[in-house]
Amino acid sequence: MRKNSSNKTALKMKFVALILMLAACGNGEDRGPTSTAGAQGEPNEGGIVVGAMETAPTGMFNPIFYEEGYDEAILRITHEGLVGQNEDLEFIPKLAKSWDMNEDQTSITFQLEEGVKWHDGEEFTAEDVVFTYQTMSDPDYVKSGGFRTEYVQDLKGYDAYNTGETDDFEGVVEDDKYTVTFNFEEPNVTPLYTAGFQIIPKHVFDDIPIADIPKSDASLKGGSIIGTGPFKLTKIVDRQQYVFERNDDYWQGKPHLDKIVYKIVDEAIMTGLLENGDIDFVADPNGVSPADYKTVKKIKDMQIIEQPEFGNQFLGFKMNHRSSSDIESRTINPDNWTVNEKIADPKVRQAIAYAVNREGIVNGLLYGKGKKTNSTIAQQFWAYSEDGVADYEYDVEKATQLLDEAGFIDKDGDGFRENPDGEKWVLNLDFPTGNKIRERSAPLIKQQLEEAGIQINMRQPKEMTAYIDGLENRDSDWDLYLLGWALSSHDPDPASLWSATAPYNYSRWNNPEADALLEKAMKAPAAFEQENRAEVYKEWQALFSEDLPALFLYVKDNLWVMSDRVEGIDPLPFTIMNNTHEWWVTR
Amino acid sequence: MQNSMNEQPSMGAARSKAKPKSPFQLSLRRFMKNKLAVIGVICLILIILATVFAPLLTKFDPERGDLLMVDSAPGNGHLLGTDSSGRDNWARLLYGGRISLIVGFSAMLFTLVIGVVTGAVSGYYGGKVDSVIMRAADLVLALPFLVLALTIIALLDNVTIGVFVTIIAITTWPTLTRLIRGAFLSLREEEFITGAKALGASDLRIICKHFLPNAVGPIIVNATLMMATMIIIESGMSFIGMGIPQPTPTWGNMLSEAQNLRVLRDQPEIWLPPGLGILLTVLSINFIGDGLRDAFDPKSNRR
Amino acid sequence: MFQYLIRRILVFIPMLFLLTVIIFGLAKAAPGDPFTGKILDPSIDPEVYEQRKEELGLNDPVPVQYLHWVSTVAKGDLGESITYNGRSVTDLIGERLMNTVYLGTFALAITLIVAIPIGLYSAKYPYSMLDYSATAFGFIGLAVPNFFFGLIAIFVFAISFGWFPAQGTVSSVDATGFGLVMDRLHHMILPGLTLGLAGTATYMRYMRSEVLDVLGSDYIKTAKAKGMSETSILYKHTLRNAIIPIITLLGFEFGALLSGAVITEQVFNYPGLGTLFITSITNRDYPVVMAINLLLGVTILFGNLLADMLYSAVDPRIRYE
Repeated sequence: MRKNSSNKTALKMKFVALILMLAACGNGEDRGPTSTAGAQGEPNEGGIVVGAMETAPTGMFNPIFYEEGYDEAILRITHEGLVGQNEDLEFIPKLAKSWDMNEDQTSITFQLEEGVKWHDGEEFTAEDVVFTYQTMSDPDYVKSGGFRTEYVQDLKGYDAYNTGETDDFEGVVEDDKYTVTFNFEEPNVTPLYTAGFQIIPKHVFDDIPIADIPKSDASLKGGSIIGTGPFKLTKIVDRQQYVFERNDDYWQGKPHLDKIVYKIVDEAIMTGLLENGDIDFVADPNGVSPADYKTVKKIKDMQIIEQPEFGNQFLGFKMNHRSSSDIESRTINPDNWTVNEKIADPKVRQAIAYAVNREGIVNGLLYGKGKKTNSTIAQQFWAYSEDGVADYEYDVEKATQLLDEAGFIDKDGDGFRENPDGEKWVLNLDFPTGNKIRERSAPLIKQQLEEAGIQINMRQPKEMTAYIDGLENRDSDWDLYLLGWALSSHDPDPASLWSATAPYNYSRWNNPEADALLEKAMKAPAAFEQENRAEVYKEWQALFSEDLPALFLYVKDNLWVMSDRVEGIDPLPFTIMNNTHEWWVTR
Repeated sequence: MQNSMNEQPSMGAARSKAKPKSPFQLSLRRFMKNKLAVIGVICLILIILATVFAPLLTKFDPERGDLLMVDSAPGNGHLLGTDSSGRDNWARLLYGGRISLIVGFSAMLFTLVIGVVTGAVSGYYGGKVDSVIMRAADLVLALPFLVLALTIIALLDNVTIGVFVTIIAITTWPTLTRLIRGAFLSLREEEFITGAKALGASDLRIICKHFLPNAVGPIIVNATLMMATMIIIESGMSFIGMGIPQPTPTWGNMLSEAQNLRVLRDQPEIWLPPGLGILLTVLSINFIGDGLRDAFDPKSNRR
Repeated sequence: MFQYLIRRILVFIPMLFLLTVIIFGLAKAAPGDPFTGKILDPSIDPEVYEQRKEELGLNDPVPVQYLHWVSTVAKGDLGESITYNGRSVTDLIGERLMNTVYLGTFALAITLIVAIPIGLYSAKYPYSMLDYSATAFGFIGLAVPNFFFGLIAIFVFAISFGWFPAQGTVSSVDATGFGLVMDRLHHMILPGLTLGLAGTATYMRYMRSEVLDVLGSDYIKTAKAKGMSETSILYKHTLRNAIIPIITLLGFEFGALLSGAVITEQVFNYPGLGTLFITSITNRDYPVVMAINLLLGVTILFGNLLADMLYSAVDPRIRYE
């Protein structure tokens, strides 16, 4: 009888709990550990950690075909390369336990970890490494939508293989089951970067024609995506939820957590869900916005990890314009460029630099969560230098003085300067939408420049697709432009952005001296020594800041949020999604 | 509320006393009896005055940011605080209202012109012209308004107020065209029209003198209601980032700053004023529209 | 009737053709291509993009591209997405379409379930408390932008009270059967209400005034004189007559509902056709943009036809010419 009634009460309680759970919708889900370790500070086993991303990945979960940062964030958990990076950005062993380079750095041999298992239980071997690089070198790779040719184009015999002249792939060779050698056409300054690409399983993709790989389940479907990482992506609710389950056979040891879940949550309500405890972390690629910093800071049980991003925002100067026939034929030939006389005088560009209040932008628009920068090279890198680099401290007077010296003086008294010939001098300012902070900075920059007497015609912002098209092909009347680059955390070489013939050199900066330095920095064998490269980049950065094809505005701080119930996190300078197998939860 | 919704009693009253008054005076009189409509008029006039005399009500430039005053609470001369670029919210509210009203009004006017012209031509002439216009209307209606508008906006480099208004107009005219065509079709066979035609009056004259005055009721009513819709559309498009670009202030642009819980919860001074602005304006316009409907067509409950 | 149907459908074909030409032209005229928006990763060699464009035929003259598109579609193939690397557009749209259909149907159901009875009641008992509240709601519902209503709803019901989920279509990845249905419904309530708000307000007002109108008309007076009870008059005659304009309205409102869905889906991060359309148009993912337009065009044209047919089913006086 008594037992019965207590049963009833229990039932009632259960019912109430059920209702509460329904109402709370998932709030009641137990994410705590399943078994607690005896000793203090020892990891508990089991438990679930939920993260949030503000935009859904495109759903391409194959390293050789993904394009966006959101997909990359997912792949960070499931896939691995031969080498990884540590907190000093040095390359460290991952799937390869050691390596040997030959004298002139034309080949590098890796000893692979033995006993590494793919998520489906097959063994990882040298064959997989060869397969990955061979697939990316295949003539069909780019046709099928692959973009990562930078990892293979320096390999020996790439051109011959890629054009189909030969079926013999010499770039990456299997020496034995656990030994693989990369051969390069020329001495390679960054061999570990080249060899660090995430590896895909041969036994899964071998039978699939390359053109069908991006459409195959093995690239798209939860449960079919096979990597070597600590967690396997088992379930996908497209654009909403991505569930990772523990890889029990993980080669670095069985992960502590049962699951990691990524939920797609609009930025607008991210803080609300953090407060409710519905999500435990916000990580790659964007973290939470600086405007939300204070709100998140107030949530107890949450910590914020602040790291400067790899990337920056800048105000570019269109120093030259391409000729229309070059645009037509898609060539980049500095000999055919015409100088943009409006901002040709370096004094003018420097004056503009002095007139922009970069610190103000950081403090105002970024809520102090960032830093003004003077270089395109990420500050985390050994190559970053402030030596001899001009720092254009906000100084309207200096700007005025420089403009006066350059002959840009307001003669007709309308408050704006005319050019030395006394003609009207109006600079066009263009900017894209998509990045709220950058959008807000444009009118403020206009305002600041006008204070120095520079008349600015700020044009309507365009969405990125249209903007880049304009920047590239319809820039004949462009003067000032806003843009930002995401930078690689592997190597600091800025040549793809700022050498004269680089397509991404939208300023169309043509300085032979600077180009010579960039070439020297990558010239073997001197470049094998990092100090030598650092020395050259120092010179280049100083030159850049003198000639000023762009004024770097700021580097934003990435604000990663992590619940303090999660222990064992091991942030790298560019992500907190590192060594997830060591994560565990306290409750 | 009862006046706007229940027209039956006033109908009889109006009919019995209506001897010496012109139809317009009659309508006006009925309109003035409608309390809500009158309140709407007063409210709208106040809003218009506030936006027209914005420079007298604030000393701030709505597009000028102050980096030292980002996201500041009300005070320090900023009546409603500042936004995320350090711009004065009160100034943006006033100037933004001006632009939202201009957008609403001119989009309505533009649509009205297209709608009346095409509808009149279509309904008056019939035949080939009619079927061409009606097929064009079908074509525009075959896509949701927003989908078409977004496709066009993607195409344009420079979305100014004028461009924005044009886009709204060319994507929304068919509804009105159909309405006016219908009204014309029903009038076409009336005796006074055939009479005028027999007397050799020109087409334009017949349309302007005989058709339009008879259709003016539904046109005006629809125009008012359309203006309200346009204001809502402007805010919706701003929200998805396809409206009139920043830093131009509009109520929609201001409201889309509230796309964040933090703002929604902690900074009502940012979203409440433009929200109320839209609410009051649209309410007033709708009240006026209802009042006008009753005034023009006392027995109508139909449209 | 059958003939009429055939004729109506035949008219669609040239219309659809024209529609696709216009949309294709517009989409192509927009600056940029599927790759210009992607180039913020400087490690990717732009030459590769160029090769891809060549491969996909994006450098061909626009009419050639159009013909190519039409011929693929004629074979029943909507092509492959460019943004979502090579995935078939049919697959991509399929699921999203269903999500939008669920949401739209749900919103419409809410609208009708709420609007018709309240509209009826208001007309039957004008100046009652409910009538006043309904009228007030009718005005305010039309005066609040729906994205804003959505944001407030998320703030109040999802975050503060935690009653409903704020985003997406499902919480549990494992739910099946009844559990899945409940989960989805749970997720649809806030976006459904948001999407249905303006419609509910409109229909309620229409319903009320239509019923009032019919109640005041002569034949109802006759019916009353014949001694029919008010309730039976209301249901037998009034409702039927009043529903006709609502059906017409439904036909036309279909487009409005979809427009609303574009915004509502954005607010609730709801993976439907609207969000897909916005990403596709900003990324210049032409195959997807075209497929969505085609789909919407067909649906709306058929929706209008359906409305016409319903119209005649409800009111036998209306005949097809």
